[in-house]
Amino acid sequence: MEYWPWWLGAIGLAAVTVLNFLLLGRLLGVSGSWAKVVGWKEDRERSAELKSLAEDKGGMEDALLAETLAEFGEASLKELNDEPDTEEASTRRVIKEEQHTPWTVHFVFLLSMFVGGFLGAIISGHFKIELTLSPIHSQIFGADWEVWLALLFGGIMVGFGTQMAGGCTSGHGLSGCARLIPASLVATMTFMVSAILLSFMMQATLR
Amino acid sequence: MIKQYLFYAFLGLAMGFVVARIGFADYDELHRMFIFADLRMLFSFMGAVVLSMLILAPFAKKIPKQHKIFQPGTIPGSMLFGFGWAISGACPSLVFVQLGSGKLAAIFTLIGIYLGVLLHKKIHARYFRWDTGSCGV
Repeated sequence: MEYWPWWLGAIGLAAVTVLNFLLLGRLLGVSGSWAKVVGWKEDRERSAELKSLAEDKGGMEDALLAETLAEFGEASLKELNDEPDTEEASTRRVIKEEQHTPWTVHFVFLLSMFVGGFLGAIISGHFKIELTLSPIHSQIFGADWEVWLALLFGGIMVGFGTQMAGGCTSGHGLSGCARLIPASLVATMTFMVSAILLSFMMQATLR
Repeated sequence: MIKQYLFYAFLGLAMGFVVARIGFADYDELHRMFIFADLRMLFSFMGAVVLSMLILAPFAKKIPKQHKIFQPGTIPGSMLFGFGWAISGACPSLVFVQLGSGKLAAIFTLIGIYLGVLLHKKIHARYFRWDTGSCGV
């Protein structure tokens, strides 16, 4: 079966990006999940720390709330809820989110991308066990071991680069550009142009 | 808690499926996109950005600040990523879809990305220490 036409692909990718926000309340970003999974040890320690902190804070907030209620009645409570979105509130939300998203969740996310890819490949008939990446890739890099070496170093560049840039195709490219965040626009232009330049150079070696 | 696992699993499945059906995991398709021989996938990507922009615009105030800032690593990091992408045909999500499509060689890319992220973590903690505004914090 053929790959999807461009418009169906656009709708599919946009649906994932939007659903990610609607379900999780934050934007898609795969390299962030990678960072969490690779840094699982720190993440575990941090989760425990934040949890104990949040429990303390929660207890204190409850006590304060009860006292306010006794002193000033229901009206003051409504006022409290109408409080504008301050920076402190958003920080609190970030902390709250972090303690609720342990690295194992991100690990599940990455694994399910593998399963999703498998299902997509099976259904479209593109599934095929291969030791190399593709005909053109082997043409560029040569023997199997050279292909594997290229992939290893390419992978290191991807891992290091995305962490250094603070995002990848999904985080900067999809989410960041969709929100018109300047750093994301710059990053997306930079990695697209870099990939295009190198691809032209690799193509030139074929002729 | 369990809801979060389900949501993330669902989104991962959807993402992997969509990316596989578009053909991003196919190095030949990707290479043809990068040398402008076939712009189908580039249109998919740009179309997705525009669509998401339109749909997310009304929620602008509710979207937490993703803390994507311009920092010293933005350009060199993106360049490194772009070159790596052209070489391996993989970005941090594509590698899983390549593996799912049966391309066993992508295991080397997977190991590479793991090492790259780990290396950055060590080097960053030791030498850079600037704010990368990474995804998903």
